[in-house]
Amino acid sequence: MTDTASTHARMQDASRRARLAEFWYYFSENRGAVIGLGVFVALVIVALFAPLIAPHAPNAQFRDATLLPPFWQEGGRAAFPLGTDPLGRDMLSRLLHGARFSLFIGVVVTLLALTTGIIIGTIAGYFRGWVDTAITRLMDIILAFPSLLLALVLVAVLGPGLNNAMIAIALVQQPHYVRLTRAAVMGEKGRDYVTAARVAGAGNVRLMFRTILPNCTAPLIVQAALSFSTAILDAAALGFLGMGAQPPTPEWGTMLAESREFILRAWWVVTFPGLAILITVLAINLMGDGLRDALDPKLKRS
Amino acid sequence: MNKKLTLAAALLAATVLSSAASAKTFVYCSEGSPEGFDPALYTAGTTFDAAAHTVYNRLLEFKPGTTETQPGIAESWEISDDGLEYTFKIRPGVKFQTTDFFTPSRDVNADDVIFSFERQLKADNPWHQYVAGAAWEYFNGMGFPDLIASIEKVDDMTVRFKLKQKEAPFLANVAMPFASIVSKEYADKLAADGKMEMLNQQPLGTGPFEFVAYQTDAVIRYRAHEDYWGGKQKIDDLVFAITTDAAVRYQKLKAGECHLMPFPNAADVAEMKNDPNLKVEEQEGLNVAYLAYNTTQAPFDNVNVRKALNMAINKQAIVDAVFQGAATPAKNPIPPTMWSYNDAIEDDAYDLDAAKKMLEEAGVKDLSMKIWAMPVARPYMLNARRAAELIQADFAKIGVTVEIVTYEWAEYLDRSKAKDRDGAVMLGWTGDNGDPDNFLHTLLGCDAVGGNNRAQWCNEEFNDLVVKAKATTDPAERTKLYEEAQVVFKREAPWATIDHSLSVVPMRKEVQGFHQSPLGDFAFEGVDLVE
Repeated sequence: MTDTASTHARMQDASRRARLAEFWYYFSENRGAVIGLGVFVALVIVALFAPLIAPHAPNAQFRDATLLPPFWQEGGRAAFPLGTDPLGRDMLSRLLHGARFSLFIGVVVTLLALTTGIIIGTIAGYFRGWVDTAITRLMDIILAFPSLLLALVLVAVLGPGLNNAMIAIALVQQPHYVRLTRAAVMGEKGRDYVTAARVAGAGNVRLMFRTILPNCTAPLIVQAALSFSTAILDAAALGFLGMGAQPPTPEWGTMLAESREFILRAWWVVTFPGLAILITVLAINLMGDGLRDALDPKLKRS
Repeated sequence: MNKKLTLAAALLAATVLSSAASAKTFVYCSEGSPEGFDPALYTAGTTFDAAAHTVYNRLLEFKPGTTETQPGIAESWEISDDGLEYTFKIRPGVKFQTTDFFTPSRDVNADDVIFSFERQLKADNPWHQYVAGAAWEYFNGMGFPDLIASIEKVDDMTVRFKLKQKEAPFLANVAMPFASIVSKEYADKLAADGKMEMLNQQPLGTGPFEFVAYQTDAVIRYRAHEDYWGGKQKIDDLVFAITTDAAVRYQKLKAGECHLMPFPNAADVAEMKNDPNLKVEEQEGLNVAYLAYNTTQAPFDNVNVRKALNMAINKQAIVDAVFQGAATPAKNPIPPTMWSYNDAIEDDAYDLDAAKKMLEEAGVKDLSMKIWAMPVARPYMLNARRAAELIQADFAKIGVTVEIVTYEWAEYLDRSKAKDRDGAVMLGWTGDNGDPDNFLHTLLGCDAVGGNNRAQWCNEEFNDLVVKAKATTDPAERTKLYEEAQVVFKREAPWATIDHSLSVVPMRKEVQGFHQSPLGDFAFEGVDLVE
């Protein structure tokens, strides 16, 4: 008895490893995706160890060193490698700490949108009928608004701040998950294994979340990866419009907004936060593309 | 090659000679289009520059470059002993402009003055609604409808204003653009022709320049008024080249396409100062930015707490970081260019240790407060959030935690008025008529609690002084009262005064005789071009 169980486990283990190998094979086919993954991992490390890496505290104001250029330019100081902002705060330290906020925003928004989206989408796809109609109409209404505008309205109602901005963005993104999940659940619901499970006596909840849902994860993972970057971008946009993170939080979009008057006079204050947003979003998008290549059966070249 | 050079030189000489012989044209790169040409209808400085200071005169005028008044169309005036009757004697021989569209037959008399005010005052005046929605905002905003009991014609050259209560700033108020004197004869002719709206499109007054033409959103042309009572202007033509972008204005100024520009980008000023063809004039603006504590709430009802916080604000750092130096730290609630500014007052020194000690003595520990920062740039505070961040960092050093909050602008103004507002509000004020009453009573008087008095501060001693000053007509007496009021203000510290911004006016080297107005006007009377 024990023997068979361990054999079973080993077999499962082997098949999981094989699937992982296959995934990596397809993922690594896409060079951009690998680079994106590398940059993303680096960002995560930077975010985790920001307080250790950063040369200064992100909000420490050095009043004698306002608007210093980066170290390679004339007048720059080695103590402030990427220069300082108009309040004399070190740009590098603020950018490093900003990575924490951006990734945090990405994770929270995606998790929030993903979990609510999956639950609502599964219910809609599984039960159909009036429940489905009501849910889809509601999602259509949300989708009809330009996403940033809707987020802006929500933040205006809730009050500006990072938490409210995250809630607003999650709410705006959640219909995408609902639709994806609903479509996938509807496709799977008629399959034989679902009928088999039902005949075996599985209840609705078990059928929904244990039987069907695990078979719908591939498109959701891809969507999650892509919306991770959208979340960062939207949070930056809200920050730029003064509705997101409030000063002195070193959030990249807010940093950009606070310094745009210096675009001609002190390029580094504007350029670096913009570059940081660009690199992060690009890396995550590339990674998302690779995930889609690896997980979407339709795209697999075999 | 040589020939070409000589030819060029000859041509150049010819142009120089011909331009010297021909008319002197002064070009002003203005920042926007006027809303119209009847200054009483509007509130924007741009409109006043284009209409009030060129075409029109007022009973009294502000002395160029100051906030003091001097005789204008009124040659002299008398104030009755009870301060309720103002009798203006009209200067004889003040000529209206003769233009392509109207030829006046008489000089300014009492009818013109009465007409200019009654069209704003009386709802049954045929000119009260001559353009749809005429709101006479300034006239109403200065409280004139409730102030003026009657306007009487004593004789052809004398007008008497009867007031309902004492109002010392009245003389400064009638020097404001909305009180410009228009021609009743011209208005009657327009009414007879059924073209009343032309008063707002082809203005005709007594001012130094007469209106020639306006090409919408592009250019306004004026000619010097030949018979101007103050003497014909040295420049013959005045042109407003409307240029909305500050960077473009600067380029035009550099290229010599205009002689003077308003509102440069703060970041460009350093470069302008280095240009040998330009000169930059700087002056303290008639404004103040402040942080108003809510003096009705603990612990901010304690003077010592307010004082301690004031001592912890590094104003110079704000001036440097927000204005790049184009401002001065403020110690009084009124700007230094205003009469009765009390220069003897000592500002609280920036001293964190003393501030910390003072807070401890007041028994305040672990104080956390909100600071409201305006969402928009104003002349007195270009970036309130940045200033708030500086204050936040300073306060952190004395153990006070600050949360910065902001709202949409209209909402901000509205919510900050609430008596039970939580937190200190950053705000400012730009003077309307150069009278200290417009700052001290409007912003800090007991009447304004729950309104413009964002500190919700009603101090009997202070209020008595400013109310008394408002009802006093002798300028020396008023100066004394206001100086005393500033002492009380500094002692009680309902605000942290932050800064007075500088207004910066770049112009070509050859411009002479331009006086920057502390009220923010751009008036070109007396301006000349000297090569």
